[in-house]
Amino acid sequence: MDKIIFAGPVGAGKTTAIGSISEIPPVGTDVACTDESAQIKEKTTVAMDYSYITLDDGTRIHLYGTPGQDRFDFMWQILAKDGIGLVLLINRDHPDPLHQLGFYLNAFADFIQDTGVVIGLTKSDISDKHDISKFQDFLYERQQIFPVFDVDARSEDDIKVLVHALLAVLNH
Amino acid sequence: MRIINDVIEQISHTNLEQDTQTQEVLAQELDKILDALLTSSEDISAAIISSVDGHSKAQRLEADMDEHRFAAMSSALLALSDNIASEGGKGNTENVLIEGTNGKIFLLHAGPKHLLTVFTHNCGSLGMPLAYAKQATEQIAALMEVLAS
Repeated sequence: MDKIIFAGPVGAGKTTAIGSISEIPPVGTDVACTDESAQIKEKTTVAMDYSYITLDDGTRIHLYGTPGQDRFDFMWQILAKDGIGLVLLINRDHPDPLHQLGFYLNAFADFIQDTGVVIGLTKSDISDKHDISKFQDFLYERQQIFPVFDVDARSEDDIKVLVHALLAVLNH
Repeated sequence: MRIINDVIEQISHTNLEQDTQTQEVLAQELDKILDALLTSSEDISAAIISSVDGHSKAQRLEADMDEHRFAAMSSALLALSDNIASEGGKGNTENVLIEGTNGKIFLLHAGPKHLLTVFTHNCGSLGMPLAYAKQATEQIAALMEVLAS
């Protein structure tokens, strides 16, 4: 089973991104936020999002979204098991998105080592204070050369580009 | 209902604008509910009250049990169960039962934003512990409603 994992911090757009390309009504586990996340959004994923897409050659790609908060890191391990690659979404509107990028790259380091990753920078329409080159420089300093894209999580085309880029990375 | 009357009494003497005081009252009352639950049945070994998004609110767990992990795991499991129940046409989740080789665990909603996870010894009957747990969820729900109003 070809399974791609969507990860990243709270409010990066993981649930939205999966919904944008989903062929079915996605399985979601949104519940009310009762903490400071409520300032960002009303609901948050606590277990997983699930959906799938079918490629032109008929291959079905299963999409699993993780909860953003690190208290749910047990779900990251459960969902990443047997995954073929990672789509990492980072919210460009966050005060310190580079720190967040580093945190999630470290948290999924073993998985990325075994598979591959592409990075999608979301909410670029809201914020341009962190230029995409900053992210590329940050990765270069870490000696991690990964594809980085500006994306809109609501755009089917943008998220499909991410998924196809990941599949291209994995085929090399 | 004694617990609920207690909390109404306490809140009337508390400046509700002081959110921290309200939180303290809440924590005390949730502790009382858990203490009553654990003394109600010898079969119940531990319990935790958490928010639907996985934060611990009160706990009577064993020393080696991490309350933050159990709060998060409980919310994830109950959220998935809600999906399976509703998508399978079975309505809302009444409870989730885990039958372990060394005891049973059940999870229940406690009002719209909280849940209760109860751990039992390897008891024969689940009836009484489950009935006491349901009673506790009703008390938690009523308490939260009072505090929200």
